Amino acid sequence: MAGDKGAKITKREMFLRILLKSLKVRKNRVFITFFSIMIGAAIITALASVYFDISAKMSRELRAYGANFFIGPASASGNRTVDTGTIGEAVKMVPPEKLAGASPYVYGVVRLDLGNAVLAGVDFAGLKRLSPYWQVEGKWITVDFDDESCMIGKTLAKNMELKVGDSVTVIRNETGFQKSLIIKGIAETGQAEDEQIFVSLPLAQKILGMEGKANHAMLSIVTEGTDIDALAATVAGKFPVLDAKPIRKVSSSEGKILEKIKGLMAIVAVIILTITTLCVMTTLITVVSERTREIGLMKAIGADDREIVRQFIAETLLIGVAGVAAGLVVGFILAQVLGQAVFGSSISFRMIVLPVTLIPSVAASLLAAVLPVRMAVRVVPAQVLKED
Amino acid sequence: MAKIVLETKVLTKRYGSVTPLDSIDMQVKGGEWVAIMGPSGSGKTTMLNLLSLLDSPTEGEYILDGVGTATLTEKERVAVRREKIGLVFQQFHLVSYLTALENVMLAQYYHSMVDKGDAMEALERVGLEHRTDHLPSQLSGGEQQRVCIARALINQPAIIMADEPTGNLDEANEEVVLELFKELHREGRTIIMVTHNPELAEFADRVVRLHHGKVVKDA
Repeated sequence: MAGDKGAKITKREMFLRILLKSLKVRKNRVFITFFSIMIGAAIITALASVYFDISAKMSRELRAYGANFFIGPASASGNRTVDTGTIGEAVKMVPPEKLAGASPYVYGVVRLDLGNAVLAGVDFAGLKRLSPYWQVEGKWITVDFDDESCMIGKTLAKNMELKVGDSVTVIRNETGFQKSLIIKGIAETGQAEDEQIFVSLPLAQKILGMEGKANHAMLSIVTEGTDIDALAATVAGKFPVLDAKPIRKVSSSEGKILEKIKGLMAIVAVIILTITTLCVMTTLITVVSERTREIGLMKAIGADDREIVRQFIAETLLIGVAGVAAGLVVGFILAQVLGQAVFGSSISFRMIVLPVTLIPSVAASLLAAVLPVRMAVRVVPAQVLKED
Repeated sequence: MAKIVLETKVLTKRYGSVTPLDSIDMQVKGGEWVAIMGPSGSGKTTMLNLLSLLDSPTEGEYILDGVGTATLTEKERVAVRREKIGLVFQQFHLVSYLTALENVMLAQYYHSMVDKGDAMEALERVGLEHRTDHLPSQLSGGEQQRVCIARALINQPAIIMADEPTGNLDEANEEVVLELFKELHREGRTIIMVTHNPELAEFADRVVRLHHGKVVKDA
């Protein structure tokens, strides 16, 4: 003991000693506060991580909702068709990594066994990427040079009582072309395509007598990081025979969906922060209520209001920062789970997530401490110390 | 002649229509040991709370060490209490998660510098040098009260104010605490002590008796 005599302890050391011991003695309350802050921070981290990755991820995801770019003959030219070679070159102007799918289309009316129908010639591989939302009974045609098979729309199949595996005779009066095709798949598209019959582009060109021609091409382009209007202008500039334009309905609704999803995530984050704040506040109020006598004693032996505030804010901050640190780790793991579940890919860590999580979470913790600290400051020693 | 360290003029405390302390005029000289006695509800604790600046009077004047306390802010009242008064409580009021030594150092911490050696000496003085690292729950009632006294003494206050310091102690511990107060008195400290215990009051220089909030005897 004699060795301890004269040992000075700095005020900071004493403060830390009081701080840590006061937290240690209230493990359950500390854990509840820590856990609340951690959950809040984890959800904010996960949402923020997804949020900052969302534009890229969602844009790719939304490409599942069909074409958003059109290339066709220039309206000024008066032509209704354009060379597929020209279309192919125009499509090549889109950076490959931004091109989700593309297909030229050629259309004409043909007669089937039970009536007339619109025949569309397409690049099936491109069409499949362009229209991943199609519900296909049977199979997609996967080989472009398959001139023995066709796919038909669901309504058309119903009207003409056709099933997968049936054969259907396609007749084009103008060209005298007649051919029996096997139905490989029946597509439900929810659009006009439900009433059409689809064959490979070369076969359609042959049936319709439009070799080397297409009416237009539809493209699905990832809009994230792409100036789609500038792209349209470049294509039209390079190929005066072509019109190139974004399909506004899809492009703008894509943007609106993204904005709405971002807004929704922000609302969820605010709700989570509010719940965290209330939870932390309730716990801290309980802590202050349990400690009124201790606070009264501290005031009686010389602690002023500043000391009391410092003690409670430091306790809250310490738990808050620990909770946020744990929340960042848990949140990043949660973001990976979300990324895999929703986008099928991992979410990359972005530094911006740190302040976005840390600042509001710690602010929420401090906000939660305001009322309890006011309660602590208002403790009257004479009242609480006389209670048995 | 010793100077007056504490003086009240018509000191009154009211809670609505209840007046637990009514127009107290009192003077205490430096080094004096004053015992405040009276039945339950006579206003003893209320008076001690006012004198130790834990509470404010409704009316009247309280001058401590030549300074009127009526105009002091709460922060100034805390500072005066910290500098001039050592408090001893009937229920000891130790911080449960701090050791005996840390409880003493807590008063140093709020006062100025924390000096472990001084805190150890204060505990040695009350005979607890072997219990410094024990938590209050590991100490007997008498030991807790001695820690409370060590804490009250650590900042060398001129005035010790004690509320029933032996109220929760057995006879043996009461004796130990009494001896400590006698020693403090010999050192020249001013002691204001609320007590029910006539044996303790015997050692006081003066006994102020309260009844229904008024001084009925001061001798």
